Amino acid sequence: MSKLSAKLASFTEKHPTLYKCTVIGENVVKKTVFGCQDCGQCVLSHNAFTCCMRCPKQIRNGPCGGTRADGHCEVYPNRHCVWWLINKRSKWMGRAGKLSKYHIPVDRRLEHTSAWMNMFAGRILPMDLSKKLHDVELPKTEPPPQR
Amino acid sequence: MVSGSRLERLLRQGDFAVCGEMSPPQGADRASILRKCDYFKGVVDGVNLTDNQTAIVRMSSVMSSVFVIEGGCEPVMQMTCRDRNRLAQQSDLLGAYAAGVRNVLCLTGDYQSFGTHADAKGVFDLDSVQLIHTLADMNAGKFMSGEEIKPPPAFFIGGAANPFAEPLDLRIIRLAKKIAAGAHFIQTQPVFDFPRFDKWMSLVRDEGLDEQVFILVGVMPVRSVKALLYMKEEVPGVSIADEYVERMESVAGDKERSQEEGVAICVETMKRLRETPGVKGIHIMPVMWESITRRLVEEAGLLPRPELAAVEEPAPEPVESK
Repeated sequence: MSKLSAKLASFTEKHPTLYKCTVIGENVVKKTVFGCQDCGQCVLSHNAFTCCMRCPKQIRNGPCGGTRADGHCEVYPNRHCVWWLINKRSKWMGRAGKLSKYHIPVDRRLEHTSAWMNMFAGRILPMDLSKKLHDVELPKTEPPPQR
Repeated sequence: MVSGSRLERLLRQGDFAVCGEMSPPQGADRASILRKCDYFKGVVDGVNLTDNQTAIVRMSSVMSSVFVIEGGCEPVMQMTCRDRNRLAQQSDLLGAYAAGVRNVLCLTGDYQSFGTHADAKGVFDLDSVQLIHTLADMNAGKFMSGEEIKPPPAFFIGGAANPFAEPLDLRIIRLAKKIAAGAHFIQTQPVFDFPRFDKWMSLVRDEGLDEQVFILVGVMPVRSVKALLYMKEEVPGVSIADEYVERMESVAGDKERSQEEGVAICVETMKRLRETPGVKGIHIMPVMWESITRRLVEEAGLLPRPELAAVEEPAPEPVESK
């Protein structure tokens, strides 16, 4: 399966038009449904399908200390804190176990690229505190084309 | 023993630690830092140097920490993720260690729109948990990139926790994450709401987290009911019990009595925290009122500060390359 998906990613990335269409397709779905911020290394499946990059501080291991008593954001009081939402929805979906995962720092090279293809190509690193970041061997694939 | 700092040695020998806090000046003023050191010398075990707190430009926490060492105190350097990316953070940490800084408190940082430069770009390259992990990596001799650090630093790594903000259960998970990432000590937001704090603390104890990390709990002396109400209404993530507002209100208008009442509340809080199981120390945050620190520590019965026991396991000496 992983070989097949890696092949699919490599094929897509070799064809600029196809890649562009993939990015557009992904954006249409993820931006409208999840408010995707295009980090290129999607963690929606860990965060009860709520994008943590919508947090003004873009905290991957949230929440910050400023969540208001009503669950709203300290920066934008009319919005919910995304981590308050993630907490609520994770419990509702029975995915609370995923909240204790450590998320490694964002790889800024992957911003504005297709997260789906990055996932297929194995570019999104595992999230595990027992591993140090420098112990994880980066897959030797070409960097994804920029949109 | 990781860093051999006074704070670390005291905590590891089982003494109750006291930290103070100093705001670096809003000017190129080294003398004011040295002057403020006199409020803390022999009174606290570590002085926190805030890193552009509430996003207002002040002298850098790195340089202020260096001046605090000159002034004869031990700094706890705060480092936020708001102003620096991962390169600048690691390079500042190397410089700070070389200058003698041993304790670092890792924070995400107040959002820039709260300060005087609301139009600034916030960096937020890492978050506080990732910064803690980076420091743990650096202690182990590796940069984030995996390259070797020769010679590596040895920091006593701190993280923050806010027992008063929502959602409570996720805060416990995040605290556990910080400990797993490599935090050695935790400093919390100031306590003005004991029911909530006790609830948080019991959850921490249930998870056994107080055994894995040194928890230093925040207290804040307030000078007037206005300051307390400002915190209650304007500062998100702070919870203040009505009892304290009423007490401060009863002396409102009288500056001296207000200050006395503020000190009384703070000392009571410190005494109560000292009795709370799992609390290993106090972190006093006298915002722009550093001169009161000695009186608070004294009245809480925490003076004189304990002596350091002889070290069995020597702290790593900074290695000079040949």
